[in-house]
Amino acid sequence: MTDDLDQLYKSTYTAVVRFLYRKVWDAERAEDLAQEVFVRALSHRPEKPRAWVFAVAANLARDEARAAMRRKRHLTLLKGDPIAQPTITPAADDTVEHDEQVASVQEALNTLTPRDREILLLWDAGLSYPEIAAQTGLAVGAVGTTLARARRRLVDAHDRQNVRTGTDAAHS
Amino acid sequence: MRHIPEDELHAYLDQGLSRTQCVEIESHLADCPSCQAMRDGIAALRDRTTALLSRLTPPRNVPPAFDVLRRRAVEAASQRRRRLSIVAWAASLVAAVGLGWTASSFLRSSDTGRPVSPVAARESTDAQRTVASTSVAPAARLIAPRPAAGTSPAAGRPPKRAIRAGAAEPTRQTAVAAARAESVAAASRTAAALSVLDPKPALELTQLEQPDRRALELNGMWRTMSWDGAKAEAGERVPHIDGLPVVQVQIQNGERGSRPVMVVAQQLSSGQVIRTIEGPATDVSQMLSRRAMADVDTVFLPGDSAVPRPDAGRAMAMQVGDRMLAITGDLPSDSLRAMIRRLNAEMRSK
Repeated sequence: MTDDLDQLYKSTYTAVVRFLYRKVWDAERAEDLAQEVFVRALSHRPEKPRAWVFAVAANLARDEARAAMRRKRHLTLLKGDPIAQPTITPAADDTVEHDEQVASVQEALNTLTPRDREILLLWDAGLSYPEIAAQTGLAVGAVGTTLARARRRLVDAHDRQNVRTGTDAAHS
Repeated sequence: MRHIPEDELHAYLDQGLSRTQCVEIESHLADCPSCQAMRDGIAALRDRTTALLSRLTPPRNVPPAFDVLRRRAVEAASQRRRRLSIVAWAASLVAAVGLGWTASSFLRSSDTGRPVSPVAARESTDAQRTVASTSVAPAARLIAPRPAAGTSPAAGRPPKRAIRAGAAEPTRQTAVAAARAESVAAASRTAAALSVLDPKPALELTQLEQPDRRALELNGMWRTMSWDGAKAEAGERVPHIDGLPVVQVQIQNGERGSRPVMVVAQQLSSGQVIRTIEGPATDVSQMLSRRAMADVDTVFLPGDSAVPRPDAGRAMAMQVGDRMLAITGDLPSDSLRAMIRRLNAEMRSK
């Protein structure tokens, strides 16, 4: 029923935007994509909407990254520069203050494998173990193992940076 | 005394364990200070993770009212309907060509070189993409791998069809890829032609000589349909994994009124596609063994690589009475096994 989707929208929209933001690194784009996800949910009427919504969001973000990469390549080819490294680097966003603290977490997140990163972000978005398992193709038993590894790696990577730059790692 | 492994403690704190497992862990924790310390450490790690990730939060803007999105959904649906009527026609034509029929008079008329209006051109691009994605499979299988043999509809004469037995050619994989490329090109030319002409032209269909039945790799015709169409036909029993977006549904009607085989393609968040196959055990196992021999997916989707990969993924099947449930995908066997058990459970509960 549309009411359920309305409820889902109210309760998870912010989480979906945040989930997308951590992939596309553009607040406005994240919101556009989040809205697109819910528009699609209205047409498809998924049976397990919560999991479906995040699966679609992940796919949209991935398509977005590919499109941006193609555009970037196209532009660099025109300019005659060598093709840039094909990763989406966080864009300098006017509305977000890119202070050191944010950047260091971003960097730490990038040290994770794409799969570990995905699972960590899904958990942070509020999905349950079975939902995460279904969406990523992992067995439910493997979700805990992955999260254990991902969390450790994130925190270690972050703390290592701060030790190097002399910032107090406990200030987080 | 067996201590609790780290990942189990994470799962426990995440509430990802069953009640039984939780009780076991709690009773161990009650008596084991070292595990208690471990648990506390992990709880702190979880908190730090949350705190770090919370820095990666965009500024919050007011979300649009849900009604705004509802209106957009309605608009998108009517746009889709307009495009589908062209595509459905093109799809059925391509499938018909694949089965041994040719629309000779119609195809000749596509040579007229009528100017294509910008609107039709845009629609034909969408039609091309969708036709290529939904109709390539049956056509590719049935049109022989002879790129020079004039499978092009613009050739202006009935294309000859030679069906070869599947296993004969050493270069079959590249040949199938070439046939696919050729039929995709053919399909898009057809679709482009179709978008210019009246959606329901009068066709003269001439039947070519009946191909050797044994050599056909698919019996019957595969119908591609939308998720809603599939649910309407099969009721609630469309085999799929809840929570994953459905990319495509294909149904193959069995011969002589036997029940159909359904293939449901769904997409993981990595972009990978997994397919769920359900139907009479003999049909499904035949399909799976053909896949194993042919090393090629029986259905193609946009985004699949143009050349079939030799290790195009594993399949895991489960027999339930006289029916078989299978999942294919480029995933480790445990994942496939877990998915198929879940699938079976979901199907039984319906």
